[in-house]
Amino acid sequence: MSTWWAVLLASLITLGAVPAAAQQGVTDSEIIVGCSNSFSGPLAFTGEQATRFGVDLYLKYVNDLGGIHGRKVRTVYYDDGYKPQEAVANTKKLVEQDGVFAVIAPQGTAPVVATLDYLEQNRVPLLFPYQGSPVTRAKRFIFSGMTLYDRQSRVMIDYLVGQRRYKKFATVYQDDEYGKTFLTFFEKELARHGLRLVAAESIKRGATDVSAQIAKLQAATPEVTFLVLTPGPAAQALKERQKIGWKDTLMVSTGPLTDERYLALAAEAAEGVEGLSLWPDPLTSDLPGMRQYRALMQKYFPKNEPNRYSLSGYFAAMLFAEAAKRAGRNLTREGLIAALESLKGFESGILPPLTIGPDHETQKQGFWVRVEKGRFKPLTDWLRSE
Amino acid sequence: MTTATLVHVVVSGLATGCIYALMAISLVIIYNATRTLNFAQGEMLMISAFLAWASYHAFRLPLLVAMLVAVTASAVLALLIERAIIRHSIAATHFDVLIITLGLSLMLRAGAGIVWTHDEFPFPSFFSDRPIPLGPVRIAPGSLGIIGASLGLMAALYLLFTYTRFGRAMRAVAQNQRAARLMGISVERVYSGSWVLASVVGAVAGVLIAPVIFLSSKMGLIVINGFTAAVLGGFGSLPGAVLGGMLLGVLENLAPLYLPTGIKYSVPFLLLIGILMLRPSGLLGRSLQRKV
Amino acid sequence: MRRLALASLGLLLLALPWLVPRYFVFLANLIVVNAIVAIGLNLLSGYTNQLSFGHAGFLAIGAYFAALLTIHAPGVPVPLTILAAGVSTAAVGVALGVPCLRLEGLYLTMATLAFGYVVSEAILNLDWLTRGADGLRVPVAGLGPWRLATDVARYYLVLAVAVLMVLAARNLVSTRTGRAFLAIRESQIAAQAGGIHVAAYKTIAFAVSAFYTGVAGGLFAFVVGYLSPDAFDVFLSVDFVAMIIIGGLGSVPGSIIGAAVITVLHDWLAAFQNYRPLIFGAILIAGMLFMPGGIARALRVSLTRGGGV
Repeated sequence: MSTWWAVLLASLITLGAVPAAAQQGVTDSEIIVGCSNSFSGPLAFTGEQATRFGVDLYLKYVNDLGGIHGRKVRTVYYDDGYKPQEAVANTKKLVEQDGVFAVIAPQGTAPVVATLDYLEQNRVPLLFPYQGSPVTRAKRFIFSGMTLYDRQSRVMIDYLVGQRRYKKFATVYQDDEYGKTFLTFFEKELARHGLRLVAAESIKRGATDVSAQIAKLQAATPEVTFLVLTPGPAAQALKERQKIGWKDTLMVSTGPLTDERYLALAAEAAEGVEGLSLWPDPLTSDLPGMRQYRALMQKYFPKNEPNRYSLSGYFAAMLFAEAAKRAGRNLTREGLIAALESLKGFESGILPPLTIGPDHETQKQGFWVRVEKGRFKPLTDWLRSE
Repeated sequence: MTTATLVHVVVSGLATGCIYALMAISLVIIYNATRTLNFAQGEMLMISAFLAWASYHAFRLPLLVAMLVAVTASAVLALLIERAIIRHSIAATHFDVLIITLGLSLMLRAGAGIVWTHDEFPFPSFFSDRPIPLGPVRIAPGSLGIIGASLGLMAALYLLFTYTRFGRAMRAVAQNQRAARLMGISVERVYSGSWVLASVVGAVAGVLIAPVIFLSSKMGLIVINGFTAAVLGGFGSLPGAVLGGMLLGVLENLAPLYLPTGIKYSVPFLLLIGILMLRPSGLLGRSLQRKV
Repeated sequence: MRRLALASLGLLLLALPWLVPRYFVFLANLIVVNAIVAIGLNLLSGYTNQLSFGHAGFLAIGAYFAALLTIHAPGVPVPLTILAAGVSTAAVGVALGVPCLRLEGLYLTMATLAFGYVVSEAILNLDWLTRGADGLRVPVAGLGPWRLATDVARYYLVLAVAVLMVLAARNLVSTRTGRAFLAIRESQIAAQAGGIHVAAYKTIAFAVSAFYTGVAGGLFAFVVGYLSPDAFDVFLSVDFVAMIIIGGLGSVPGSIIGAAVITVLHDWLAAFQNYRPLIFGAILIAGMLFMPGGIARALRVSLTRGGGV
């Protein structure tokens, strides 16, 4: 009998001992943020880079300088393996068990969209998800983390049709959400110029052979061929093109693809490929923010090579920290959102001066590059889409 | 579709098909001896490819030596796994062992990700990238090389099974374990041997295909194609595995060439189901006559 | 004694939402949904020995059917939607089962694997219907005047359906059909010789298994609220197989235990990030080495001191 009383007493004490937080995720000494992301499954590499080597990298720097208004920032991450149902379970855990202040840098349209209703209902800010579908646009609690795919398509096609005067376009795309979304927007943007795609071939994730698709694309004789793929299949496509000696088309990579990974895999098959770059060159750019990024990476994770995925997480944390600073010591979710909305001409030293408007998009630009001698050479200045 | 294109696509498909065939063969070798389906076959291949790659870069080894590293590593890995884990579950049902190999595949994939990250890496190839023009057709040395090496390995396996003592022992155990034991064959040795042999075949396949699909922790998923090929050809039959593999590789390439986007990826699978309807034991499989 | 245990279990289940942290109710919903699938899969694989690696396909069919029905016909009450999802999936199950009657062992497994892929592809490509890769938002379930808008509300729906399905399964197993299933598993030829119409019962097994999974799919749609082809890949099918083998083939309580163990493990290990599959794999291996035949068998053995089946 006395045991039951002891249990009851203990429970009451425990419940009473939970400190009443002024705002969930914010205590006297720390701010808690986190996300559900891919640490296993098809996007494990990008997930790990964006969180542990991206967001955490910048936050280490912030914490070392004393934190934000005296509060250190702590991160919590859970693996969802790109499964929407696990992303939902993890996100509920983050909000209800870990009491996060905001969700930062989750990845993938399916896992993110699955959690949207829940986050909106519980008024939890969703900051800079690493995905490009426009479904996250202009929502009160969400701020996008990448130039959205419709803007990328518009920038690319306006440039290629308007400035370079190309007319015949084709695309090879991945048979998933990323590929199909770009396909839809390419068709839309070309229609605006009175043009159509002459060929569109899909490649399954994890395909071993792409010879048929490349052969069909060659048969359609496009002037420009868009590559909406991940690094592996993209490199396969480029090598295949080299194999069949198909020289008279310009290969163009979309934003998410334009990075050093496919260059490493395609080697010399990538020469002359152009694309829309969403970030400055992580290894060679001389911008002050980029130099600091590399210095911090060298300091905290010397074995990890700088790359665009960790850079996007790093940038996300930078925006968060800036907004949290501006929101003041009395940090609330509403305050954070207001602070983000107040960013005008914010100098990150990485991207052009940032102004966040009512569409809550943090990135709306890219610049054109061409691969020369294994590196991306900028051809234009930042191209913007408003 | 020009003839040149068709030839190119078919040859490319045959090359991939050879790899599927090798994977199918390794699955069948283990299955014949132990009646177990090794879920971890692909991951074992992946680990040996990684080890080859690591040693190639760390010690500046010639590629052939690196391949030997892969083969040796796979043999050691197979022996370890078979002795340490599978042997202890001999009493368990085949389903239990299935889950054990599943657990192994998860562990190996995660382990590779922890050691080398889940990134993708270029793998050096024995064959050059420059195509050889043969009249109007351009043949890729890579494809030819893969086909040649695979056929060579298959021929070696044929000789092994037909003319060596160990090969005959394996066939005996595959036919009837009890009788083989009564004839004085060490069934345990055959088990270990099958695992090692299957791994070695897988390792060679891995080194051949890694330049094409790139080295990464998810490389092992190719085992699913191997399984499909083995069933298509008749599970348990080695010539069936070869036939199944080649057929699957070519089909997978012809489908996108002629069929619209909507169904082109389903076609190999639908065809598989169709073939199984007509020949329930696969193309070359023997329908089991069972005595009651 | 047994009735007391069952009664207290029932009470515990009813009171669960108040006994556990809030997010665990969502997890409980997933566990129950997986348990229903596991029972269905066990009826096929554990009883008639037709191992299926394509059950994620059945789950997807049930889920999308329920979601689309609710979107296009919002007036239909939820229990009917779930039932319809189950029935339509069962029809697909028969369509798959009949051609596969002549297939055995690994060949049947391969056919189900292929089926899983075909379903995935179909969902992706029929995007005028399923919204393909963009994913499908599932409307909130409606039961008469009530809207099941919270995890707790959905928990009771899921629990009610599960109780019905478990009772039905136990019933099935102890009837003639169940005994026929077992006979087929032991020896198809003997069963046929003994007068059991093997083909009919194998087809029934497929249909029932698909029905269970389709019902679970409908529940899944409402529990998660969002469907996309990524949710139903081959790894999910493998998870279901792991559930019934870990739990115990041919055992209804085993299926439930297996589903609970795997689902909870997945969730608990999420914090280990990229070590997650490593630990999960190790647990699977250890589990099978120390509990051959599954948890149900291990429990039975220890409880009855070496008793038989």
